[in-house]
Amino acid sequence: MRRHEYWTYIVLVFPIILLSIFLIFPVGAVIIYGLFSGTGSSFMETISAYYTQFTIAFTLVQASISTILALLIGLPGALLLARLRFRGKSLIRALIIVPFVLPPIVVVVGFIQMFGSFGIIDSILMLITKSTTSILNLADGVVGIVLAHTFYNAPLVMLLVSASMERLNPEIEESAEILGADSVSRFRRITLPHILPSLSASAILTFLFCFMSFPIVLAFGNGVYRTLEVQIWNAFRWSDYGEASSLVLIQILITISLAVSYIKLGRVTENQSGPTSTIRTTTLGKYKLWEKIAITAYIIVTLFLIGGPIISIIRAAFFDPIRQVYTLDGFSYLVRIGSNGGFQPLINSLFYGGLATILSIIIGIPLAYAHRSKTRGLPSLSSTMILLPLGISSITVAYGLMTVIAVPTGLNINPWPIIVIAQTIIGLPFTARSIEIGLKSIDPNILDQADSLGATRIQRLLFVEVPLLVPSILVGAVFAFAMAIGEMSATLFIALPQNYTLAVAIYDNLGVRHFVEAGACSLILVALCVVAFLAMEKISEGSTGGTL
Amino acid sequence: MLASLKLGVVDMTEYPVRRNPKAIFAVVAIVTILIVASYGIISFWKPRFVVYTYSSFMDWGDEGADVVLERAFAPFEERYGIDIDFVVLESDANFIVSRLNAEAANPIADVVIGIDNILVLQEAARNVLEPYESPNLALINDSFVNSLDAENYLTPFDFGLVTLIYSLNTINTTTHPQLDNLTLADLTTTELASALVTEDPHLSSPGLAFLLSQIAIYEKILGEDWTEWWDAVEGNIDIEEGWNEAWSAWTSDPTKHLLVSYGTDPAYSANYLGSEPDTSIAPFYYQNQHWAWMQVEGVGLVKNGPNPDLGKAFIDYCLNATVQNEIPLNQWMFPVRTDLTLPSVFNYAIHPSEVSILNTLLNSTEISENLQSWLNQFDTVMTPG
Repeated sequence: MRRHEYWTYIVLVFPIILLSIFLIFPVGAVIIYGLFSGTGSSFMETISAYYTQFTIAFTLVQASISTILALLIGLPGALLLARLRFRGKSLIRALIIVPFVLPPIVVVVGFIQMFGSFGIIDSILMLITKSTTSILNLADGVVGIVLAHTFYNAPLVMLLVSASMERLNPEIEESAEILGADSVSRFRRITLPHILPSLSASAILTFLFCFMSFPIVLAFGNGVYRTLEVQIWNAFRWSDYGEASSLVLIQILITISLAVSYIKLGRVTENQSGPTSTIRTTTLGKYKLWEKIAITAYIIVTLFLIGGPIISIIRAAFFDPIRQVYTLDGFSYLVRIGSNGGFQPLINSLFYGGLATILSIIIGIPLAYAHRSKTRGLPSLSSTMILLPLGISSITVAYGLMTVIAVPTGLNINPWPIIVIAQTIIGLPFTARSIEIGLKSIDPNILDQADSLGATRIQRLLFVEVPLLVPSILVGAVFAFAMAIGEMSATLFIALPQNYTLAVAIYDNLGVRHFVEAGACSLILVALCVVAFLAMEKISEGSTGGTL
Repeated sequence: MLASLKLGVVDMTEYPVRRNPKAIFAVVAIVTILIVASYGIISFWKPRFVVYTYSSFMDWGDEGADVVLERAFAPFEERYGIDIDFVVLESDANFIVSRLNAEAANPIADVVIGIDNILVLQEAARNVLEPYESPNLALINDSFVNSLDAENYLTPFDFGLVTLIYSLNTINTTTHPQLDNLTLADLTTTELASALVTEDPHLSSPGLAFLLSQIAIYEKILGEDWTEWWDAVEGNIDIEEGWNEAWSAWTSDPTKHLLVSYGTDPAYSANYLGSEPDTSIAPFYYQNQHWAWMQVEGVGLVKNGPNPDLGKAFIDYCLNATVQNEIPLNQWMFPVRTDLTLPSVFNYAIHPSEVSILNTLLNSTEISENLQSWLNQFDTVMTPG
């Protein structure tokens, strides 16, 4: 074996070893301890209980309904986003991703303010009907859960599908038109087959996210409707490690089969349509009247569903519902230093999030290379590793990191490195995937030229590959950062109060009914995400959608 | 390398400048290392005396927890020359027990405050506690020790009565005469069931206390199957995540009249309004007497904690008047030192002498043996379908 090949293997295997230590080992240890130590319910007791079966069924059903709704709402948006030419398109595109990167706890706040009893819609209805009691509460129960999931994931569908649609070769459509195909059959025969892979990919991802949903179901499920994740949380709190492990095992089996089908789907779609072709675009003026009406109606509904909760967050940052006044208290909280202030959580969020982003890039690059490697088994291994963090409950990861890493090393007295590790794991799927897509689009001829001009492996990497990868690294970095600063459940489990982040501070403030403080923190998170995505859109010129 | 850089500069008119990424990497690396190092140094752990407690501990007064805890514990800190680090974990006592279990091999906390008389019956809680019999137990009534934990895993700190409360702004004994002598059967009507807010017994201690109250009444007083009541109210009753959420739902929605809460709430309301309270209590009425559940919260020594002697001294100190006198107006519970004078607003609270205690109907062995299966049965009944 040649020496540099040997090094290549070490570099490629390095992230896989890290993930084995910080993800697979802790989670495996928790599962094995729970199943075999005999504390709490056994596996059979757990799965034969009626409520466990109901939880599994409910988790699957709500995820299916949410996925269908997200596709129904997201698909027209994706078509419009790809097809329409209008001013401020890149701004809209950056804003669309905002819901997806919002911390779930912020979404809960926005949803209650918009759709809940005495929320904005309810207040309008009450005003119209002159009623003094609440008429409509959509932020509760199954309806609330499904709506919130739709809000979360419809943007994902829009981005993924529109990105794939933009690469539709206009010549095919023109030929079809010349051959006399009407718009319906053009959609059915050309557009649909072209976007089908991205449509199914976004469907699987949406299903996965809804399947793993935690704070939303906790808040709207009234203790009756639970996802597996919520029941795992319950089991951990009651120190029923047997039940927790059994449920984690079931959860992992389901998510891994989803991940495998996602990877299979990715294989099929590779090397389709050159990234150079761009779809024929048009302006709103070119549409027929009924089409204009339909488009306008759709935009209004989408604005209500997706824009509404975000607008409510802005209001929540200034409006104190208890005193019924507008105030800047929330922002003075954010700059207050000390144990009761929001300054430390803000700094913690930026520090942990920043560090986790850098780490997830450093680990993500070799992971992406491993995915492109020709060594047998390595690509599938790295794909699984990339998707694994999306499919394992973050509470289990946190509990595992705590028991097998933090406590034996004594890091639990100052656990910030553990938080950074947990957040890195959560961001990794996004950086690795984005960099992998970037790698795919590098022209192999350029690399051959570098080789033939005598560049060493390091030179080729630093001067040719990395500069070409910069846009995709940035895209992945922004996603990873957004995931890291929005992460709440793992951080909450690991952190001591001096380690609390903004997401935890929101939860904290909501608990003691400090609504403006929670609102202000939420607004800061939203602002950070928007700024990061706008910057990224500028640099990467709109290739966001390919990341996932 | 240098040559290629020079080349880049010379041929700038034709080719874009090729910056050396190594320099950028070096700068990023140095900046990162500096930031990480300084954060690490600033946040470096200094040995302290650590007390784990839940959010909102002593935080319901006008001054806030920081001021109150400083005032109550400064003499202790001075005497032993230490700083007490109150680690307020953003959750409830269940979560703290779960965390103590995770840390059992290498605990950082010395003392934990807030585990109550139901939770302490769990093996998970006893596993992380070290029994300690404080000499200051002589200062309090034996009944508290017995109702909390006769084996001294915990030392009583405060107590309260869990009962139903209602808002006088929306409902009163004229509109609903049954509130005077309320039974669980009264609550099964659609009107009252949908007006009742409680907490998830998995996630909230008053919620669990309410579940046990209901079980005690059905199984011990009425001799009926307790799950039937939940069957009757299922779909109407509002079960919130925790007490804060439940309080929120109860105050913001005028159709929610009743809340599972504490018997001191009218005192809190009177103190807040500076007048007559707008909150009243509706304890359950059976066998010609009123009933309520008594929740006793304790302070316990963490097993294998770093400073066991200081921990014991701290537990003794918690029963001093300096600490106990802060409980009524900041924690809105009763101090276990019944010899202390309560603030006058506590006249509006319901006192343990005025009700029969439901806990006496369920002994601790019964609770510890059945708690998991009760919770599982509760889940099964409340699961739709």
